[in-house]
Amino acid sequence: MSKPEFAQLSDLVESNPVRELDPRALIGNWINSNPDTTSIARINVFEEKGQLQLQVFAVGPDGLIDWGPTTADVFAPNATATAAAGFTCTYDFGFAEARFQGMIMKGLLVLAQFHLFKDDSGRASYFLREYYAMTHEHF
Amino acid sequence: MIQLDFKQQSHLHADLREAGAADANANKLLGRWINTNWETRGIAECTVARDGDGISVNVVGAGEDGPIKWPTARATVLANLEEEAGQRTSALLATFDFGFMRADTHMRINKGVFVIVLFVTFLDHSGRANYLNREFFYRHA
Repeated sequence: MSKPEFAQLSDLVESNPVRELDPRALIGNWINSNPDTTSIARINVFEEKGQLQLQVFAVGPDGLIDWGPTTADVFAPNATATAAAGFTCTYDFGFAEARFQGMIMKGLLVLAQFHLFKDDSGRASYFLREYYAMTHEHF
Repeated sequence: MIQLDFKQQSHLHADLREAGAADANANKLLGRWINTNWETRGIAECTVARDGDGISVNVVGAGEDGPIKWPTARATVLANLEEEAGQRTSALLATFDFGFMRADTHMRINKGVFVIVLFVTFLDHSGRANYLNREFFYRHA
């Protein structure tokens, strides 16, 4: 069996390759740890037809704005892992694109947001990083 | 008065309309950055440089028989609305395309440490799991 191509040692896999990732660690309702955020307040992560979906609720001047669902790509913590540890996805609004890179760290969802403006408003594209906790009813 | 499109409050942040908002702090990212973990199986080092009116990123991966030079990527410079540890530094978004895989990265400085977050997508149907990684780098003197 030939060795797969790689760009760093962590790309090399010696065990049997994994084809499906278990997304359960990501699925749930995530709430921003910052109650004063001017960005995304809540994220609902769910699975539909075998694909991970995100539904984002952002803070607007008159209340929350529902961005609707979008499909996300799922990522493991390494090339042999079986459980998901993060995701990427994109919302395209026409005037701007919002790209997300999310990862689980110490039980929190750390969401890096990249807002790229495509209109002629002169606004600079910008970066935000916020923390989200999964809601539960254990206590 | 111009009505701006928005999908969240921060799209209307006044600082975004300041000339050079994204580029203002990008100089802090320039330089050669070395992984704090000398046993890394990921990225050994990264060099961020001005390239005409943009910024280029050169990465060296850890290999079996020596370093692996990645294809040079052009970076998108992003303004950072938040301060981290009293500093406000731009972030970079860069994609490295190898054909058999793609590495989508973002890079920023937090408390003087250069942080690379990497999302690897395999395109070769090798069955390897797409994966993410985060590594830390210090500035080469």
